[in-house]
Order: sequence, then C-alpha cells, then structure tokens
Amino acid sequence: SFRGEADLDTLLGKDLGALRDIVINANPARPPLTLLVLHKMLCQRYRVLSTVHVHSSVSSVPPQLLSCLGPRHPDSYARHLFQLGFTLIWKDVPKLQMKFSVQNMCPVEGEASVARFLFKLLAPYPSDAAAATLVDSWVDTAFHQLAEGGAKERAAVMRALNLTLGRGPWLAGRDVSLADVACYCCLLLAGSASPAPANVQRWLESCENLGHFGPAKVLLQ
Amino acid sequence: MIKEGVQGAAAVAEEDPQAQSKKAQKKQQKEAEKAAKKAEKQAKLAGDQKTEEEDDFAKDRYGVAAMVQSQEKMDRSLVLVKDLSPARADELIWLRARVHTSRAKGKQCFLVLRQQQFNVQALVAVGDRASKQMVKFAANISKESIVDVEASVRKVDQKIESCSQQDVELHIERIFVISQAEARLPLQLEDAVRPEGEGDEEGRATVNQDTRLDNRVIDLRTTTSQAIFRLQSGVCQLFRDTLNKKGFVEIQTPKIISAASEGGANVFTVSYFKTSAYLAQSPQLYKQMCICADFDKVFCVGPVFRAEDSNTHRHLTEFVGLDIEMAFNYHYHEVIDSITDTMVQIFKGLRDNFQTEIQTVNKQFPSEPFKFLEPTLRLEYKEGLAMLREAGVEMGDEEDLSTPNEKLLGRLVKEKYDTDFYVLDKYPLAVRPFYTMPDPNDPKNSNSYDMFMRGEEILSGAQRIHDAQLLTERAMYHQIDLEKIKAYIDSFRFGAPPHGGGGIGLERVCMLYLGLHNVRQTSMFPRDPKRLTP
Repeated sequence: SFRGEADLDTLLGKDLGALRDIVINANPARPPLTLLVLHKMLCQRYRVLSTVHVHSSVSSVPPQLLSCLGPRHPDSYARHLFQLGFTLIWKDVPKLQMKFSVQNMCPVEGEASVARFLFKLLAPYPSDAAAATLVDSWVDTAFHQLAEGGAKERAAVMRALNLTLGRGPWLAGRDVSLADVACYCCLLLAGSASPAPANVQRWLESCENLGHFGPAKVLLQ
Repeated sequence: MIKEGVQGAAAVAEEDPQAQSKKAQKKQQKEAEKAAKKAEKQAKLAGDQKTEEEDDFAKDRYGVAAMVQSQEKMDRSLVLVKDLSPARADELIWLRARVHTSRAKGKQCFLVLRQQQFNVQALVAVGDRASKQMVKFAANISKESIVDVEASVRKVDQKIESCSQQDVELHIERIFVISQAEARLPLQLEDAVRPEGEGDEEGRATVNQDTRLDNRVIDLRTTTSQAIFRLQSGVCQLFRDTLNKKGFVEIQTPKIISAASEGGANVFTVSYFKTSAYLAQSPQLYKQMCICADFDKVFCVGPVFRAEDSNTHRHLTEFVGLDIEMAFNYHYHEVIDSITDTMVQIFKGLRDNFQTEIQTVNKQFPSEPFKFLEPTLRLEYKEGLAMLREAGVEMGDEEDLSTPNEKLLGRLVKEKYDTDFYVLDKYPLAVRPFYTMPDPNDPKNSNSYDMFMRGEEILSGAQRIHDAQLLTERAMYHQIDLEKIKAYIDSFRFGAPPHGGGGIGLERVCMLYLGLHNVRQTSMFPRDPKRLTP
C-alpha cells in the first residue's frame, strides 16, 4: 500500500556489512503505540530483527510490553541475515528517545520525531512542500492536541478531522500517510466518550481494514 | 641542650684548672640538690598515685582482662553494633568491638567503637559509675584494641553524623581490654578510606596501594574493604544459587595437571616427584570431561593460575574462576542465554540486596551505577567491527580486539544501548583456541563469544568441538603435540554431546561491577608477578 521504493543505503548511509540497528528507549508508563504500528509496517517491507529489552533502571514490565513486537523471528540467532534491527528498550526515560548512528546523529527525542524517521523508511515524504507540511502538521496535532489535550481541544480536533475526511478518504493526499497513523493511534489512546462523527467513523474503519493497528490495540486492552 | 653543652665545654677549656674545679664543685652541688628535689617530687607523686589507686572506687570496672584461654564459659550475650538502635534505649548491654578512635576531654572520654563496617559513639564520663582513673584508662587504650564493654544505650538528640549508628550512643559502665593493639599502626584506617583527591586538597594523607597490600589485614578492616568482600561473597552465592536452580551440578577439579589447555607459554610449572606438572589455567578440560560423563550442566568455583608476566590493573597470577560448561540441544546460543541470564541474576541480586555495600564503596570510589539489559544485548563481531570502523578505527576482519579497541567498543555500545554488559558473538576462528567450534556458515568465523563489563572482557567462551576427528584436525592445525592431549581427545570418542561454556574471573566481575580501577582491590590476598605475600 506504500508507493515508492525506499533504498536503505540512500536513507541510512553506506552499508558497513553489519546490521543497521535502530534503538528506541521508551518508558513503560507510556508505550509508543505509533511506533509499534510502524514497526509492523516495517516488518512487511524489510527483514527486521525485532528485540525487546528491559533496562536496569526499570524493575518490572508487564508481560504484554515484553511481547509487543510479536513472537521471536525463527532466524533471530543470526543477526547478519537481517536488513534492519528494531531494538526496543523499556527504560526509565522522561522522553522517548531513538539512537541510530551514535557517531553521526544526536539522539532523536519525542515519539512524533521518531515516527517521522521510521515512516520515511516506508515511503518518501510528499515532494510537494505544502503536502509534506500538511502531514507534519497533522502529526503535531495528533501528539499535542489529541493525546495530551483536554476535552475541548479534542472535540475541536474531531471537528477538523471530520471536515477533512469529508473531502477525501485519508487525511493528507490520496494515500494513507503518517498523518493517518498518528491520528488513529492518538485517538485510540485518548479514548472517547461520545461516538465519532460520520466521516471519522468511516475513516476509522478504513484504517482498521489496513490491518496494521493490531499491536496498538492489544496494548490498550 | 646539646648546643649548650658544647658551648659549656668550650668555656671550660679556656679557664685555668683551679677555677675549673671550684666551678665544677659548685655545679655538682647544685645538681645533687636538683636530683634530691626530683626524687622527693617523684616519691610524692608515687604516693599520691598509690593513694589515688587505693581511692579508686571503680577499679573493678576496667582493666586489661586475662587472655581468653577459654577458662570459663560465660553466660553473657554480646550485642552487635549494627543492632544498636533507639529500640534498645536505656538497656544495659555488653558488646565486643574495636576502639576505632578515642578522644579524651577533661572528665570524659569519647570512643568510637567499630565492628566490621558499623560503628557507634561511646562515652566514659567521671561520675558515680566511672572514676577519674577509669576515664584515663579508657583514653589510653590504643587504637584497634579489642574491648568488651558494658554500657547503657541512650538516645541522642542530634544525629551523630560520623557513625553508622546515628541515633544512639553508649554510656560505658565497664570496659575491659581483650586484646591490646600495638600503639603504632602501619597505616591509619581513616587515611585508607579517604576518597582519592580529597586528601590532596586538604593536605591529608591517603594510603597507596602497595602499603595497603603490605598491611592487608589492617586494610581489610576498612569499611570499603569490608563492603567489597561482602559483595564478593554475594557474587559467589548468587552464582551458585542461580545455577543450582537451573539444574547445574557443582564439581571440583584438580589444579595440578599434566598438560596445558591453552598453549604452554602461560602456565606455571611445578616439580612433581620425578617429573613436572602444571598449575591449571582453567578447569576447561575437566569441565568438558564431566559433560562427556553425562553430568550435562556443571559449574566450578576455584583457583585458576596464569603465568603471564603482565603487571596491569586487571591481571593476577592466581584468581578465582567461576566456570560453566553445559550440554545443549541444537544451538550454542542456549549456552549464551544460560550464562547471560546467570549474570543478569547476579547483577539484579547485587542491585537489590547489596545497596549498602555498593554505596559504602562508592563513598571512597565514586562510580556510575552498573547498567544492564534483560535479556542481555548480543552483538556479532562484524557489528562490533562496523561500529569501530565508523568511529575511525582501522582493523582487519580477522584481527583480534586490542585492549584499547575493546574499551572503545564498550563506550560505543554504552552510548547506543546504555548497557555496561553485553556479549560479542562470532569471533574470527583464527584468534580462538583449537577446541573452538567453527561456524558452519563461514569457515573464518567461530561459534565463540566474549562477554564484557564496562568495556572490559570478563568471560571468554565458545561451543567446543565434541567430535574427536575434528578436534584432532584442529589440534594439528594449531601444532599441538597430540600425545600430550591424548586423554582429552579420547574422552570424545565414545559419544559426546554438543556443549559449550565459559569462565569468569570473580575479582574482575567485582572490580567492574563496582567501577573500581584495580583488580587487587577485589582480591583479598592478590598474587601478581611481583607479589607473593602476604
């Protein structure tokens, strides 16, 4: 469902003959639903070696968080067989953090920023600046207003979502994008007392039909 | 005095003999008078003392006790210093402790009584229980003497910051010296626990490593040493407990052996009747023979000898090896998982049960808390190389890690994964011993691994070759005399299960867990190329 071929050498730098391992430090008190969904999408696209660790700064982690990246890959004993490593570490961090190339990159902070990074491995951002900004702005709306905002703010976002989804099937452009993933997950996390408006309802169903959101839903149960 | 004497002598030489004799007579007379006065004074003093002694109402309450030769079995329970708390306030108790410090101040004398890493303030004051002489006696007890004390426990208003028991002090009613220490100590305990650097600033002394080791018995009394070796005991205990739970059997192996297991260069040779033998570099061969003898999972805790003439911060010539060997079903990662899980259980056990000891050591040697991941991070050698190359290190594919690269890789791994413990898997076959199983997918690689703590190697392990044929080939390739290892190779001829294992140095694990800088700090009586005593 994602257009465009992403080439890991172009995206992540020269192949040094070893696994490219993406390390994500997340606090078990705030599981990063978006990233789990993106992880599932990455697995469909690449050979991903997924591992979950618990850092010594955390004493215990609920079992569903330990298995949130799915069952162990049968080839996981041979790390060199994989294109990409996805290493999730449950750790006592104030803000979600991603580390990739410690030599050339500073750690990336915040779930939204990490989500943007991961999504670029799946599909290129729209080349049109306006469309790219639109995606970014929806991602910000999702993380700041939907996930952390009050009831009033959430209601306002809901109206905006309904309006936008009246004009097209997805939030930004003709295809599903990070905007949809982020808004869906944050909506799920925020929960809702009142039923969603018609367009949003239809969009939620389309999202679920994609089948990417399983891991996020499991965690919320 | 000497100067005056010299001048006097010069003056005498100048004067005529008669005058000299007159003067000398006068002088003698004067001196005689002086002596008489002195004697009188002394006699008076002695008399006073005698009367004082006679007057001493508390003379049964202190003194040097007779040597304990087990002449009586007293029904007296001694309270431990660490149990002294406000809950025991106003109780009259007996305890045995060392005199850590004493400070007399007029009619009272403050003592700090120490027992292992705990101490408490005690007080002898002139009153209806103690006499002036008793206070004087208490003040004169030499440091480090062992005393029996009867005292009442009193709550204090202000916390005593310098002691481990901050909420109470002891009011001494009786004090007897059980063992007197010589007055001059080879080193002061306060100096030995002073954090490095702090001493320099205040112009106070610190004790260097060699002085400590030369006087190890005293150095071991410091709070830091007490904590280190209690924690070390904890490591052994946790190691045994964890492996026992996993179904391992503890074995004992001989340390006098006939053949070296890892090349002959770094073994001690001992004369053995009419021939010679070696001191074991590792229980390697015996662990493996036990596997062939169906013990399935074994471990062994015991001395290991290395005759390497390396005087570094992390090498000893004798250390305690914690060795593991186990048969596995299909993949040697079963062994890695088992060993790393054991290590993680040790780290967790230390984190959860030895916090006091860790903090005590940290006071003198500050370090970051030890961090780890569960399950343990496992990287492949190639990934390690890639990380090093990215950092600008030039290294061949089949080259072994040098110590500086090992440390650098540790720092890179810590930066990315924030763990002080990880496994590096799939070492090049060329840099491993002959009994290492080659990697089936890449003949240049092997099924071997190292484990690192704070960027330093603590364990080297591998899947072993359990096939006599392949083992012979590999031994020949390494130009090992087949005659010498015949017994070893023969053990695999009659059915041997696939197996793997590894060995850890206890001292290194403790050193690196606590973030110390020298392995001698975690060896009770260290042995290195230059030290054979104490």
